[in-house]
Amino acid sequence: MGGLSFDWVGVLSGDPLKWLELGVLTTLYVTLAGSLLATLIAVLLLGLRISQERIVQWPAVAVIEIFRNTPLLVQILFWYFAGFGLLPAGWRAWINDDHSWAMLPGGVGLLTPEFLAATWGLGIFSGVFIAEEIRAGLMAVSPGQREAALSQGFGHWRCLAYILLPQALANSWQPVIGQYLNLMKLSSLATAIGLAEITYQVRQIESYNSHALEAFAVGTLLYLAIGTAMGQVLLRCGPRRGTMVRGGKRHGP
Amino acid sequence: MIEFRDVHKFYDKLHVIRGIDLSIARGEVVVICGPSGSGKSTLIRLVNQLEPLSRGDILVDGQSVASSRGRALRRLRSQIGFVFQQFNLYPHLTVEQNITLALRKVLGVVPEDATVRAVELLDRVGLADKRFAYPAQLSGGQQQRVAIARTLAMRPKILLFDEPTSALDPEMIGEVLAVMRELATSGITMVVVTHEMGFARELADRIVFIDQGVILENDKPVDFFLSPQHPRARQFLRQLLSPLHTAND
Ligand SMILES: Nc1ncnc2c1ncn2[C@@H]1O[C@H](COP(=O)(O)OP(=O)(O)OP(=O)(O)O)[C@@H](O)[C@H]1O
Ligand SMILES: [Mg+2]
Repeated sequence: MGGLSFDWVGVLSGDPLKWLELGVLTTLYVTLAGSLLATLIAVLLLGLRISQERIVQWPAVAVIEIFRNTPLLVQILFWYFAGFGLLPAGWRAWINDDHSWAMLPGGVGLLTPEFLAATWGLGIFSGVFIAEEIRAGLMAVSPGQREAALSQGFGHWRCLAYILLPQALANSWQPVIGQYLNLMKLSSLATAIGLAEITYQVRQIESYNSHALEAFAVGTLLYLAIGTAMGQVLLRCGPRRGTMVRGGKRHGP
Repeated sequence: MIEFRDVHKFYDKLHVIRGIDLSIARGEVVVICGPSGSGKSTLIRLVNQLEPLSRGDILVDGQSVASSRGRALRRLRSQIGFVFQQFNLYPHLTVEQNITLALRKVLGVVPEDATVRAVELLDRVGLADKRFAYPAQLSGGQQQRVAIARTLAMRPKILLFDEPTSALDPEMIGEVLAVMRELATSGITMVVVTHEMGFARELADRIVFIDQGVILENDKPVDFFLSPQHPRARQFLRQLLSPLHTAND
């Protein structure tokens, strides 16, 4: 056993406990906000990427390549230190003001440069990946599906909406869930810009009372719990793959 | 009803349809046959612009296919039923939804009426009990009958079939042919690419034999089967009737 001894109380009581609670809330909020933004960006990029107009395809490709092939940490640092500075001075002052209405339950500020930069950075980065996963799912739909739809008189967008995308989503739902989970895990990088999420709080506990082992163990378990719960929820929201597999289990009357 | 005027189709440099002129009258049942790769699928896919024409034009009910775009093209397509070799049912939808989707989203039929039409048609193809099944739960023959019902629901002026029985196990061919036989006698205009010479002999008004993108025979079934003019047509028929003795003909 040597000098290995644990003091869980030192992490799970008093100030450290309060910090952890705040950390969990912050991680949850930034994950939720980032996921919503990522979804929006994914829809937009996918729309441009699969449009029939070349002119709108290439900006989408450029955005996708830039954000897919550079490190997220660099992107977050960029948005925080450079991107924020590019906003009009009035906006910056407004964001830095106190906003009681923008205080989420639990005391996490929504309108802070840290929260905004982290949400924005995570949203774009993940949105790009989600768009590409769904596009891959689209490529996997048999060309006959599109032909059947066209032969019935569907146009490009309606064919996508009613016939191709539902199948693409079913094809790609597992990897898409993976991207949302990644977003949650990657929110730990926002510690680098001082967002007070789980990793940030764990390090604060470590420097406060040197309970590194306990603090990191608790932090890890928190990520694990959030990730597991999130995966289950997303799996349940998703399209049912079973209907597309021959002989699989079905729902319905 | 359908008029091909000097129709050509190139896939890049490959000249697949090489100057086809053909008139099909309202209510006619025309069977198109020919060796593999002769351009049969391409020819009927040109009619509803699943493939764009390279040269010439096709008139459907007087409307030029070559110059139809956007809304006009979608309208034209909705009036031409197409039945695929691979069925191409929508796997994420039930049988009923497969039939009602385009009715509602393309033709704007209200859901209740669409459902009524679906139920009627499923009854007609003998699958009333499969209304809530998914395509993956059906046999090939059943899937093809649903695909036909889906096509009929649009009340098309013309039906195009591309080897509708070629992907089926032999014991399922009959059930699909039975549905097609009923259609052929109902007075709708049909163009059928098939190797089912029984169907052709019994139900076709005309048989068109094409090879390498040109029409070699365009006859009544009796003439085609009893006295084909062109040597390639004679060879094709011999192969079809006794596939084992073809190698050294
Ligand atoms: N999308 C395509 N791109 C390039 N070449 C094609 C394409 N579709 C068909 N072809 C070629 O065009 C020719 C005619 O093809 P088509 O499918 O019309 O023949 P088919 O008579 O229907 O043959 P089968 O009896 O095998 O179905 C073939 O040589 C084929 O390889
Ligand atoms: Mg073919």
